[in-house]
Amino acid sequence: MSMESTGNLELHKVVVVGHVDHGKSTLLGRILLECGRVPDDRIAHVEKICSDKSLQFEPAFLFDALQEEQEQGISIDTTRVNFEFDGHKFILIDAPGHLEFLKNMTSGASEANLGILVVDGNQGVRSQTERHLKILSMLGIRRVIVALNKIDQIKYDQTKFEEVCKRTREIIEEQEITCEQIVPISALAGENITTSTPKLDWYVGKPLLGTLIDTAQKLNNLKKDEQPFRMVLQDVYRFEGDRLFAGRVVSGSISVGAEIFFSPSGKISRVEAIEKYLESGVDSASAGESIALRLSEQVFVERGEVISLLDNAPEIDTEFRGKLAWLSANSYSADAEYTLKMGTAEVPCKVELLDPATQQKRTTDSEILANGGFADVIIKTAKPVAFDRAATGAIIEKFVICTTYDTAAAGVVDNRPVRVERSLKVNPNLRHESGYVERLRYESLNGHRGAVLWMTGLSGSGKSSLAKELEKTLFAKNCRVAVLDGDNLRFGLCADLGFSPEDRSENIRRIAHTAKLFLDTGFIVITACISPYAKDREVAREIIGAQDFNELFVFCPLEECQRRDPKGLYSKASAGQISAVTGFDSPYQAPQRPAVRLDSSKMTVAEEVEAVIALLSQNEVLPAEHALTTELSEILRTSSGPRSLQAIND
Amino acid sequence: MSDYLDSLENESIFIIREAYSRTKNLGLLWSMGKDSTVLLHLVRKAFLGNVPIPLVHIDTSYKIPEMITWRDNYTREHGLRLIVGANKKALEEGMNPGMGRLTCCGALKTQALLDTIKDHKIQALLVGIRRDEEGSRGKERVCSPRPESGIWTYKEQPAEIWHYYNMHVPESIHLRIHPLLQWTEMDVWEYIRRENLDIMPLYFAQDGKRYRSLGCSPCTGTIDSTASNLDEIIEELRTTKTGERAGRAQDKVDTYAMQKLRSGGYM
Repeated sequence: MSMESTGNLELHKVVVVGHVDHGKSTLLGRILLECGRVPDDRIAHVEKICSDKSLQFEPAFLFDALQEEQEQGISIDTTRVNFEFDGHKFILIDAPGHLEFLKNMTSGASEANLGILVVDGNQGVRSQTERHLKILSMLGIRRVIVALNKIDQIKYDQTKFEEVCKRTREIIEEQEITCEQIVPISALAGENITTSTPKLDWYVGKPLLGTLIDTAQKLNNLKKDEQPFRMVLQDVYRFEGDRLFAGRVVSGSISVGAEIFFSPSGKISRVEAIEKYLESGVDSASAGESIALRLSEQVFVERGEVISLLDNAPEIDTEFRGKLAWLSANSYSADAEYTLKMGTAEVPCKVELLDPATQQKRTTDSEILANGGFADVIIKTAKPVAFDRAATGAIIEKFVICTTYDTAAAGVVDNRPVRVERSLKVNPNLRHESGYVERLRYESLNGHRGAVLWMTGLSGSGKSSLAKELEKTLFAKNCRVAVLDGDNLRFGLCADLGFSPEDRSENIRRIAHTAKLFLDTGFIVITACISPYAKDREVAREIIGAQDFNELFVFCPLEECQRRDPKGLYSKASAGQISAVTGFDSPYQAPQRPAVRLDSSKMTVAEEVEAVIALLSQNEVLPAEHALTTELSEILRTSSGPRSLQAIND
Repeated sequence: MSDYLDSLENESIFIIREAYSRTKNLGLLWSMGKDSTVLLHLVRKAFLGNVPIPLVHIDTSYKIPEMITWRDNYTREHGLRLIVGANKKALEEGMNPGMGRLTCCGALKTQALLDTIKDHKIQALLVGIRRDEEGSRGKERVCSPRPESGIWTYKEQPAEIWHYYNMHVPESIHLRIHPLLQWTEMDVWEYIRRENLDIMPLYFAQDGKRYRSLGCSPCTGTIDSTASNLDEIIEELRTTKTGERAGRAQDKVDTYAMQKLRSGGYM
């Protein structure tokens, strides 16, 4: 999760990275000294330490304050300080260079939005130079300035400088990072940091801090696209009886009155008020703000949900591709159960390593993923989790992988889909043969138009009950009607399919084609299958044709479905006897703009039928005289009884 | 959101809410000083005006007397739950700064804190330390796990990536959570002014002296100052060349005094 404000904050967080002993802390200390914000007693303190050790004044000690750091001349852990130069505010983050402290380096760098890469003019690019760049790239830092340090030691030699520049530029570009400028400096002597020096008369750019300000301004001027609204839910408070949904806006903005969607639970509500202590009448909130929402329709949700607008929700799935940096002294294990933290969600997961060349699962464990290693992975979670992929505007995309008590790896969701598309090849010699009777003539014979009512919803949400009731009602109206029940089709047409995402896709494809055949002879087709993936329903819409495809979202909260549990699936899943149960350990991607949303926890079947008949009349599938009479709707209402009874008989 | 103080406030509220949601028996370590009073205000903001956690004050018995009076009035006025912790045994045995300032801090602050955490089964404490106070605090994490002995293993701190704080710890571990870590002394004063917070009067100059940092009376000195209101304090800070803790004697006992105190579990 990236939570840097996307507002017009002028303050930039700059991490200073590079190989061991290339002079990161010295540079930082020097910057602080030159900008004159170090208290006299702190300078005196460092002067005393240096004179006790018979050392020349060491600016690095302003940052490396620990005894062990000063004695060994290294940085162990990251720190950060605020500094101001020429009216611009920055936070400078020091990052240790040793491989063994990589987790500390990453801890510091994860907060940054800009990097200064320090490269020793004598030594050039070294192992941690490259590793740090890889980390920055993974963390999403897209711009660096290079401080080519110790220019005094290479005698201000331009040729030597150019040589180091060449290789430095190459490795930066490899990581798809923009190298803003390479600035020759001496951190120890304080040259070309705030002011230029005549010793570098061949250097045409600005000194380091001038370059930093230019780059920061460039970042400020970048026009940011309006990002979709995302808020991570931290907690639900019940102070004085009110339920308040507390969390942080990660991107976009939200206003009072907006219809909101919770992922992965699929619940929907509306913002009644945005609460902030001591502020009244807050009517909107944007990225970075910590707020609490009061909702007009109560929903039961817990910490871990991502709140979005109804028509722009994150993805929900139980597997995704990612890129990882391993940061733990304990190596990766294929058998280990890890915890994925994404947003405020925490979910048990497994991590599968992929071969970087083939992107297939690695077959051998010959290559150990250990501290400082990078890997392409597939994360498989025990419960559905919400996230964004870069293609849809990456927001909820940064995650960590934890062991019981420790953070083992940092990662980012990879843009590529995790599943291989089934290839459907139609023989080019085939041609489509039209029937003798056209659909229109069937329809005029039937006295109504054909249509597909595509139900989607969790197991136990009431799809089959509604399908039966609709069948009854339409039949009573002399309509040609066919019900395609997902479970029934799995006895025959789809008997070879299981519940993997791939098989579920194929299941939907076959049902859609079957529905299409009925549709072509003027039927009103009712399909009742979970169809959990938005992508699969899109495929069905394409096969059937958008004008005939009516998506009916049969909504029911998971807890209610589990209580009803007509097929005993949820209790079996809870007992660990079966897996891949939608909503439980397999994702359900709720439709965001269905033709009708039927809340079966609140509506009776009769009311649902009425709503669907109204839809069919409105779409002119049924002629006007077929519209439901008050008497018929009254009969339906009394005959079907409340939903809960219906579900028990299901 | 355009203001830097807003972004600090939002960040701190996020951390406080994480702590409240992810830990059991959260407390707020309150010294009545400017930082922990800002922290208390942020707790109110996080919980929409409520303070659902107890305040913990470690009383060394050497505090400047006005501090204790102010503490009791403030908690009464705001109806706050206050836990006062003290190392009674050491006090009975006559512990005082004359026995060594660091020894005294270790007994009356560190040990008293650890005993209070244990006695009240506190799993996590919000602590108002800031990176810019002194070098060893600069190396802190937002969320710092401590064993029962309180020791800070600064050479082996856990990774803290993005906003994923490690708040899941075994029962024997308690957490020090630092929502103000990234604030500076100046930020704190500007925020106090903006939010118009009720703050201990000792910070304001009287007769040419004021406290810049508050602690125990034998070890905390005043500075020369005429800053008698918030505007003047902020103006003074803009130009001063002296560090915030220059008046704190325990920092100067030896070169790494604070690191030594803090690695032993000091706040």
